[in-house]
Amino acid sequence: MDNKYKNFNYMMNPKSVAIIGASNNPDKVGHVILQNYIDAGYAGKLYPVNIKDEVSILNIKAYKSVVDIKNNIDLAVIAVPAEIVPNVVDECGKSKVKSIIIVSGGFAEIGAVELQDNVGAIAKKYNIPVLGPNCLGVMDPRTRVDTLFLPAFKIDKPKIGGVSFASQSGAVGSSVLDMISGEGFGLSKFISYGNAIDLDEVDILNYLGNDKDTKVIVFYIEGVKRGRAFMESAKRVSMKKPIVVAKGGRTNAGSKAAHSHTASLAGSYEAYKAVFKQSGIIQANSLGEILNFSKIFDTQPPLYGNKIAIITNGGGTGVMATDALYDNKLELPELSDSAINKLKKVMPPIVNVRLPLDMAGDADDKRFSAALDVMMNEDNIDAIMVIALFQTPGADSRVAATLIHYGTMMKKPLVVVSPGGSYTQAHKNMMESSGIPVYSSPEDAARALAVLHKYTEFKVNK
Amino acid sequence: MENKLMDYMKAKELLSHYNVKSVDSTYINNVDEAINFSNGNPIVLKVLTQKALHKTKSGLVELNLISDKEIKSAYDRLIKKSMQYKPYKILAQHMVDYKSDNIEIIIGGRKDLQFGPLVLIGLGGIYVETFRDFALRICPINKQEALGMIDELKSGSVIAKNKHEKEMIVNILMNVSKLMTEHNINELDLNPLILHDNTYSAVDLRVLI
Repeated sequence: MDNKYKNFNYMMNPKSVAIIGASNNPDKVGHVILQNYIDAGYAGKLYPVNIKDEVSILNIKAYKSVVDIKNNIDLAVIAVPAEIVPNVVDECGKSKVKSIIIVSGGFAEIGAVELQDNVGAIAKKYNIPVLGPNCLGVMDPRTRVDTLFLPAFKIDKPKIGGVSFASQSGAVGSSVLDMISGEGFGLSKFISYGNAIDLDEVDILNYLGNDKDTKVIVFYIEGVKRGRAFMESAKRVSMKKPIVVAKGGRTNAGSKAAHSHTASLAGSYEAYKAVFKQSGIIQANSLGEILNFSKIFDTQPPLYGNKIAIITNGGGTGVMATDALYDNKLELPELSDSAINKLKKVMPPIVNVRLPLDMAGDADDKRFSAALDVMMNEDNIDAIMVIALFQTPGADSRVAATLIHYGTMMKKPLVVVSPGGSYTQAHKNMMESSGIPVYSSPEDAARALAVLHKYTEFKVNK
Repeated sequence: MENKLMDYMKAKELLSHYNVKSVDSTYINNVDEAINFSNGNPIVLKVLTQKALHKTKSGLVELNLISDKEIKSAYDRLIKKSMQYKPYKILAQHMVDYKSDNIEIIIGGRKDLQFGPLVLIGLGGIYVETFRDFALRICPINKQEALGMIDELKSGSVIAKNKHEKEMIVNILMNVSKLMTEHNINELDLNPLILHDNTYSAVDLRVLI
C-alpha cells in the first residue's frame, strides 16, 4: 500500500514531465496536453516527445524518443496510437521513468485485450506504476498538474479545495469537473483511471484516504476490479473521511437466470449496495447528488441527531421543507419553553412561534440573526435549515452576510435553501464561497442532511 | 458457475451443524414408511429432483396429509407425476401447525463473483419476488449488521415482533453467514422459514454447490 501511495506522488507532484505524442498540430491530443501544462503555469521541467523529430514543440525543445532525454523523468504522459504504446512503455522503462499515464484509447474497451495485457506486462517488468489506458489522467490544482486533453476554453477549471474525484469514465469525469468549477467548493485531486491496467480503485482509495488535502472522496464507478480489497479499504478510509460513490450500471440485476430466490433478488448491483452500506460509503444516484453531497461533507461538521430546525421567510417553502425532512427520516424538533419565550420577545407579533419558523416575507437580516441566536444554542436542535428566499422584500445581501456569519461560527451544521434566478444566484455564490452549502430546493437540502447524518452514525457506531 | 443441487438431507445436516433447525424430514421408499413417519400427525410429501427445482410450480408437493388413506393417494399421485423427473427421491416432512399469525420469511445466501458470499433476509413464501422486501449484506456479518438487516426491511416489525424474535433471527443470520463463509456454496435458500410459537421452522431448503 505504501508503495503505491508513493507512486501517485510522482504523478501528482512531478518535477519533470515527458509528454509523448506532443505535437505542434493543435488537433492532436498531445498538443492540448502540453498547451494545458504551459497555460497552468506548471513549474517543473517539460519534455515534449515526438517521433517526427521536431526541433521544438510549442517553443520547448523536443525529443525524438524518451530515451534521448538524459535527465530524470517523474511522469511520462503517453498520447500515441495504441499499437505503438508497448514500444513507448518499453522505452520509458529503459529511461527509468518513475510513473506513466496512458491517455491513449484502443485497448480492452474495443476488445484489444491482448495489446493491453502486453502493455501491462512491460510496465510490470520495469516496475513502473501506470494509470490508464483510455483515461484522462490526473489534475491537481495545487501542483498545477493537468494531463487532461480538454481544450481550456471548453472546460472550466475547478479551484483549489478539499474534494477529490476519481472516475472510471472520462466522460463523467470531465463533465463533473466542469460542474464542480461552478460550485463553491474546490478540488483536491482528479483521477481518471480508465481501464485500470495497474492502478485501480483500491490504490486510488488508499492514496486519497492518506492524502491530507483530501477531505471528501468522490468516485464514479461501473465496477471494481478487486471487490473484497475495495471493501476493506473503504471501511478503513470511511472512518477518516466520507466516500461518495455514484455507481453506473444499476439496472443489470437479474440478467442471468437464477436458480434460487436469493439469487434472483440479490443481483450484482444489490451486492454493491450491500458493500456501500457495510463500508460507510454514501451512494449518490445522480451527478447532481454528487455535487449536493460533496459540498455538505466538505463544509459541515458531523450531524449527530436527526432533529432539524427550519427557519424560513416563506411559509409554503417551509411546509415543503418539512415534508422533505420527514421523507428523509429527519424530524422537526420541539422548541423548548425557554426558546419559545426568547423568540416571542424578538419576533414581531405576526410571527407564530413554532417550527417551521415562518418569519414572514418582510424578514430582514436582523430577524434571521435573532432566530439563529436562539436556535444555535438549543440542545435538541441538531442542525438548522435556513430557507432564504431572496425574492422577498426583506432579503438582501445583508441576509447572506448574516447567514455566512452564523454558518461559519456555529458548531452544528447549517444549510441554506435559496431557489431562484440571477439575484439569488449571486447571493448563493457569495455564501458558497464562504463555505455555506446552498441548495436550490428543500428536497436537495434534506437529502444532503440525511446523508451527513447517516455518515456520522456510521462513524459513531463503528 | 455450475450449480448442482445438494442432497436435501445432507443440506439439512449441514445447516444443523450451524445450529439452523429445519423441520423433521426423512426419505421414504414406500407408503408404509410415510405412514410410519406420520404416526397420526400431519405430514408433507415432496418429490426432490435435479430436473425440477421449483417443486410447488411442478405440482410435486402434497400438503397436510393425516390419514393413511390421504397419505396413500398423495403418494400415488406423486409417483405418477414424477415419472418424467427420474431420478428422484420422495421426502416426508412433519407439517408446521397452520396459524393465521405465522410469518413466512426467506433467509438465503449467494456467492458473488466480485465480493464473495452474501447473506439475505426478506419477506418470504411465494411472493418474495413480488414484494422484493429484502436486505443483503456481504459475509461475514456481525450482530449489529444482522440487526440492521431486520431494521431495513419494510416488514421488519412484522417479522420480528419482539426482542426474543429479533434475537432468534439475528442468530440464524449470523449462522448462515458463517456457513456461507466456511463452505463453497453458490446459492442457498431457506424459503419459507416459518416463524411460529416463538420459534421457527425452515420447511424448505435448497443448497446449490
